[in-house]
Amino acid sequence: MARAGTALRLVGPKVLQFAFVVWATYTVTFLLVRVLPGDPVLAALAVQSGDATTVDPEQLAALREAAGLDGSLLEQYLGQLGALLTGDLGTSLATGRPVVDMIAAVVPGSLAVAGLALVIGVGTSVVLAFLASIAPWRWLRDLLVQLPPLGVAVPAFVTGLILISVFSFSLGLLPASGSRSGDSVILPAITLAFPVGAIFFQVFITAIREAESSGYVFTAEAKGLGRVAVFGRHVLRNALLPSVTSIGLLIGYLAGGTAVVETVFSREGIGRLVVSAVLARDVSVIQGVIIVVAVVYALAALLVDLSYPLIDPRLRPGKAAPKATAPSTFSIAPEADALSASTQDPQNGAAK
Amino acid sequence: MTKLLRPTTIVSLLVVLLCLVMAFAPQLIAPGDPLAGTPRDRLLPPSAEHLFGTDSLGRDVFTRVVHGAWLSLAAATAAVLIGGVVGGAIGLLCGAARGRVGTAIDFVVMRFVDVLIAVPGILLALIVVATLGFGPWSIALGVGLGAAGSFARIMRAQVLRVRGEEYVEAAAVLGVRPLGVLGRHILPNAARPVLAMAALELGTAVLSVSAISFLGFGVAPPAPEWGALVSSGRDYIATSWWLTVLPGAVIVGVVLAVTRLARVIGEAR
Repeated sequence: MARAGTALRLVGPKVLQFAFVVWATYTVTFLLVRVLPGDPVLAALAVQSGDATTVDPEQLAALREAAGLDGSLLEQYLGQLGALLTGDLGTSLATGRPVVDMIAAVVPGSLAVAGLALVIGVGTSVVLAFLASIAPWRWLRDLLVQLPPLGVAVPAFVTGLILISVFSFSLGLLPASGSRSGDSVILPAITLAFPVGAIFFQVFITAIREAESSGYVFTAEAKGLGRVAVFGRHVLRNALLPSVTSIGLLIGYLAGGTAVVETVFSREGIGRLVVSAVLARDVSVIQGVIIVVAVVYALAALLVDLSYPLIDPRLRPGKAAPKATAPSTFSIAPEADALSASTQDPQNGAAK
Repeated sequence: MTKLLRPTTIVSLLVVLLCLVMAFAPQLIAPGDPLAGTPRDRLLPPSAEHLFGTDSLGRDVFTRVVHGAWLSLAAATAAVLIGGVVGGAIGLLCGAARGRVGTAIDFVVMRFVDVLIAVPGILLALIVVATLGFGPWSIALGVGLGAAGSFARIMRAQVLRVRGEEYVEAAAVLGVRPLGVLGRHILPNAARPVLAMAALELGTAVLSVSAISFLGFGVAPPAPEWGALVSSGRDYIATSWWLTVLPGAVIVGVVLAVTRLARVIGEAR
């Protein structure tokens, strides 16, 4: 009974946080669309039938009602929020189909690309970080650390087009476009893996540097362990934990990156759905996709939070003295959070 | 000062200078007309006469890249300005309000800022573009709003840091009004990390703006823009690599240079 109580106290706030993220995302997108000038329904109609067409007022009213865009702003807000709670993301202004169905139809294609990209990106950066830490020559270590920022600076559409030109047209190894065959996933995933791997690498290498400067690594080196053993047994395990936090950041990049990558490789997927929705000025679909991405992001954050005690025994409740657990939970927050957390102390002192 | 003299820093500075010339006086570097083409010279590979080759209408790609710098860089700069001003204001007010009148306001606003950071910037920019209509300036607004969250977070952190300093307390004790303290003492001392962040965001903004232009939501076709240039070379990727690779390389070079300078601004003392 007491166990269930502690579990609830641990899980409860995290679940609340999850609900908040989804609600806040909905609110932000709703405000964004309504505050900016322009009527989404009229814009969508204008794209469909040209600017000069006269719109039948009754038809317009019917369309507004179908899209949940009738009535006052507050009514619209609450109506769409109520629908959101039941898993309804509204209907598309361009096609009239439910947004949920449109998204569900294309999710598998995007998931395959994004999942493979995550595996390739994270795998490559772990190998690179390993080499950058144990390479015997300083210039090689410096060079390897300098490489990943390049991965962020190269636009995904350029990487994609170069990959197509080399592997599809010059070598003829892999298909350039489409999503029919299984190996068509490979090139888009590699394209997406560049920025994702680069971001993960930067978080990972920072965590490695931090672990390397710690007392237990000093001890391990002092007692004569080899470079590889110190890295594998002490540095790697301690650096992986904080790096897991960056998975939320990576999901954001993956979701945003699909728009470009799926266009370059002409694949069906969430990104293509968004791009065609922008072309049709179909705001409801884009809003739906953003909310779905927020749900995935918040779910991932929730799982990461809940898995900490499983990965790190120091964070298990009742296992260690609270004094030892508290600072380590905060030090694994992502960099910007850590910044604001560390700046709160002098401020609190000043406020008194 | 020694950091400014590092070879990478000097090269980055030169690249940024070159960008400024391309944006404000493209005629100095590429005197030709970016819109005029000679159909006979279509799809020529790079040569001394056409540094970046020519496109399917016989237009000189180098001229188009140079003349495209204005739109690409202006839209990216506008995006950073919008994000910096909106986000900076939010962060400044939240940081100033915390602990006095608005700890609760600060908490709620910053949770929304967290969400703004979590939502992929490109999706946020696309929903703005879909609402406002296509064009480089709605892209700038969208990308800028996407970046506002990060600016708000770093500005708030800096304000909270500076607020604890003794000179701020001294100013308050001497009777300087709160707004005066904010403008005269807190803002200037909080500015450096925010400026470093702005430089970093400029690189990201160049990437986002060119990505959204690549998708076809930027300028109308004949006008040159970097992302749109890469996009128009896409159909010839099998035969004419220079149409995509060379404008792409220009984007990479600019982003690397700007990012490098952002690091220097961030770490210089």
